[in-house]
Amino acid sequence: MEHLFVAVLNGTIYGLLLFMVSAGLTLIFGMMGVLNFAHASFYMLGAYVAYALSGVLGFALAVIVAPIVVGAVGVVVERYFLRRVHRFGHAHELLLTFGLSFIIAELIKLFFGNFPVDYRVPAALSFAAFRIGGTDYPVYRLIMGAVAVAMFGVIYALLTTTRVGIVVRSAIFRPRMAEALGHNVPLVFMGVFGVGAALAGLAGALAGAFYTTNPNMALELGVLVFVVVVIGGLGSLEGAMVASLLIGVVTSLAVGIDASFADLLGVVGLGDWARAVGGPLTLQVSSLAATIPFALMLLVLLVRPSGLFGDKS
Amino acid sequence: MRTKVILLALAVAALVAAPAFLSPGLVNASIQMLIAALFASAFSLLCGQAGMLSFGHSAYFGIGAFATIHAMNAFNGAGLLPTPLLPLVGGLLGLVSGIAAGWFATKRTGVYFSMITLALAELLHALAPHLKEIFGGEAGVSAMRMPAWGFSFGSNVEVYYLTLGWVLLCLLLLYLYTLTPVGRLTLGLRENTHRLRFLGYNVHRLSVLVFAISAMFSGVAGGLQALNIEAANYVVLDMQLSASVVLNSYIGGVKVFLGPAIGAALMSFFGYAVSDLTRSWLLYQGVLFVLVMMFLPDGLVGEFAKRIREGRFGLGWERLSAGLLFAVALVLAIVGFVCMVELAQRFFSTDYRSMIVGTPWPPVTLFGREWLPFSPVTWGLPLGLMAVGLGLLNFASHRLDPERGGVS
Repeated sequence: MEHLFVAVLNGTIYGLLLFMVSAGLTLIFGMMGVLNFAHASFYMLGAYVAYALSGVLGFALAVIVAPIVVGAVGVVVERYFLRRVHRFGHAHELLLTFGLSFIIAELIKLFFGNFPVDYRVPAALSFAAFRIGGTDYPVYRLIMGAVAVAMFGVIYALLTTTRVGIVVRSAIFRPRMAEALGHNVPLVFMGVFGVGAALAGLAGALAGAFYTTNPNMALELGVLVFVVVVIGGLGSLEGAMVASLLIGVVTSLAVGIDASFADLLGVVGLGDWARAVGGPLTLQVSSLAATIPFALMLLVLLVRPSGLFGDKS
Repeated sequence: MRTKVILLALAVAALVAAPAFLSPGLVNASIQMLIAALFASAFSLLCGQAGMLSFGHSAYFGIGAFATIHAMNAFNGAGLLPTPLLPLVGGLLGLVSGIAAGWFATKRTGVYFSMITLALAELLHALAPHLKEIFGGEAGVSAMRMPAWGFSFGSNVEVYYLTLGWVLLCLLLLYLYTLTPVGRLTLGLRENTHRLRFLGYNVHRLSVLVFAISAMFSGVAGGLQALNIEAANYVVLDMQLSASVVLNSYIGGVKVFLGPAIGAALMSFFGYAVSDLTRSWLLYQGVLFVLVMMFLPDGLVGEFAKRIREGRFGLGWERLSAGLLFAVALVLAIVGFVCMVELAQRFFSTDYRSMIVGTPWPPVTLFGREWLPFSPVTWGLPLGLMAVGLGLLNFASHRLDPERGGVS
């Protein structure tokens, strides 16, 4: 029971982290129709910038400054790169961000080396929040979860109640019309791109300290974030939230299951046959945990192609 | 038309004659170039002609490679499948997996399609280390090339000719495919699927067909790779390979038939040539890709072909001088950028960090000269070169562009 509780809690917090990254991605897609391949690179950039700054500024200040730096990078990417290739079409924009993600990863390797860096939670924050089932539960996980929830609240409130939020939503919904009404839509695009990048950077700065900070983290998380966005429905913030939590909890639970398909078949008396066949049938669910999100995504695409909350097909 | 045929015949003759003039290392590099060219062409059938951008093509390449390795072990190069025919197995498995994956992936178009291909490839990549019987775990699977048809296949020159034969055959088939009615419909998939549907074609079935054919030729390329290195490892399923085929194809230009092949061959040649000199090759590749995307959306070969078609190689004196200025400026900017990257790479490397003991920080050696970390020359020279180069580039491109008041 305690294991289940811990697994669900871990999964929820990992899901919230996924949400912090996928929120920006899904908003940018909904608005500009660009699937930003470099988005997970912003997450990685956040972790590395915070790591580099934490030596000078201290951890707390670094976590605040890193998202601002990453947001500025995002603004530059939108203004000077994406806008230039806009006239060549969406495929070109996707490819450009793909190339940028490649460059960011290589630059990180150039400056910090192709191995994990020693970026860790400060001693002041690495204590146990509570004890459960004989193990300590780190308070830092709870902090990450709380930041993500607070962020969701702030974004939701901004989008639904303020004037800026209305302009942004109208620019997402009907960019031409919003422009005709005199709003500076390119500026809105740039702003949302920057904010989305900054959120990913914040997630990176927080999570990099807890998980590992290495040059592959962008790709590892990036693929998961795409899965989240597709399952939730491209362009939907609520969908991203639900899908992130779903993926986080499901993978976290799967890691703890030692059973295999052979055991399942054993219930109907085919266990020995399955073990004799071997191969995929005897693989434990825990070793398949990494593949579950993809299987889930294929399932969603077959059953409900536009995603759980998506309406654009 | 006739010049094209003559040029092609010359190129094929050069490829056939090449091993006589090349060192064994270069022959090996040529084999890699040929395989990369075939893989890029197969990929571009899907993304260039049918307009479906796949981010997971390494899966079909890898499946082809593993199928071929297992066939090598099973048949020992004799019986039904002598060594030269082994890539057929790769092609067959590529085709089958392409039908299965394509059926899923082509249910959606646009970015969704790209995401599904990426997810399928990552699914396989995540699964592969656990399936030891098929993918051999960390060590991979290895096999031996057996003699067949009077060839020993022991030297890499024989492997070169085998690869060359397969690649030329596949490229010919891919070209003939573009001339068939299905090949024309493939372009329709890119341009206007609604219209195809109104005309009564089954768009989904057509997309699956194109996907499967592309996967089949990728599988052949994978099979050739397996034959060449006599081993396969699940690393081949990595994202890295999918990424490099995308980069190479677009650098060459996906809308011209030979663009991706030339792009991939060039890039893998440069990769081979500079891999001893620099560790930042992938960075240069990425930068080149982004520059091509931003300034030459048709790719290097595509742009070249377009200019020849439009006859924009007029040889006026002013135009020639502007072109020369452009070339010089480009070289300056590239030299500055490369200096900058290489210096940074050396100063931030772990070797250098371990050398720092106490204050004056030691210099690094680059291009036969010592560079101090805090001297203004070290950073000023590359930056200055880049600035001058970029300024001149701007000036020269204005003069070359008739729409902006330059000479035509």
